[in-house]
Amino acid sequence: MSAADCEQRETGWGILEDLPGDPMMWVLIFSELAVFGLCLGAFSVARAIHPVMFASGQAALDSHLAGINTVVLVTSGWLAARGTRAARAGERAASRRWLCGAMALGAAFVAVKLFEYAGEIGQGIGLETSPFFTLYFLLTGFHLLHVCLGIIILAVVIRRAEAVGVETGTAFWHMVDLVWIVMFPILYLVR
Amino acid sequence: MMARLDATWLLLIGLAIATVVVPSLLPRALLANAVLLAFAAVKGRRIVLDYLDLRAAPAVWRGLVSTWVLVVVLFAWLASAVIALI
Repeated sequence: MSAADCEQRETGWGILEDLPGDPMMWVLIFSELAVFGLCLGAFSVARAIHPVMFASGQAALDSHLAGINTVVLVTSGWLAARGTRAARAGERAASRRWLCGAMALGAAFVAVKLFEYAGEIGQGIGLETSPFFTLYFLLTGFHLLHVCLGIIILAVVIRRAEAVGVETGTAFWHMVDLVWIVMFPILYLVR
Repeated sequence: MMARLDATWLLLIGLAIATVVVPSLLPRALLANAVLLAFAAVKGRRIVLDYLDLRAAPAVWRGLVSTWVLVVVLFAWLASAVIALI
């Protein structure tokens, strides 16, 4: 590679340039991981302080629906990863198909989560029922907003389906997946 | 490379199903929590390596995101252990 090529590739992001996709997305991803990590830590501390209240709150949740949503989201992540590989290979049509599948399963995740919320609200459960449900609705609601945002980002990058754009969009999508993977057992199953 | 991605997906599906089943199979909370959170750590690591595709990225980034997963699940387990031991 010539010095001119090196200069052209240099964008001022330093070590972040070694990550797939746009470095700015990774700044967002690290920020989001920090926020979710702190919130999940706060949830764990609150459970240690109020174990009985948290156990009764957790008993009202439907862990099977959340388990189904885990399968839906990891499958969506797999489709998105396939879409990234296809975009890197220059197979734009294939990339679009994989990403459409990822978005459809993302929408399915949202539908299942809203169904779950409806069941909980139908039982008379709300944000102010107990500190458990305040944290539960804030954490899962914040995550759900990220799923919706992820679907929008995928819808944007799918139009051109070029490698860097798809890598950027799917990196955000996999971050949403990663957060759910740790959030699911902590909120629904850990006693 | 594609075979590894597919294997990761199958592993994630298997561990997701196992995660739902574990609490009914292991009545002791401390052990069940350890298994559940270990599953979460394994799933998280595979997402970092194969979905986020950090396997080929510099070790510092792979390590940073993997450490996030480890710290969150370890903290959750320690907090649950405090409840079990009191």
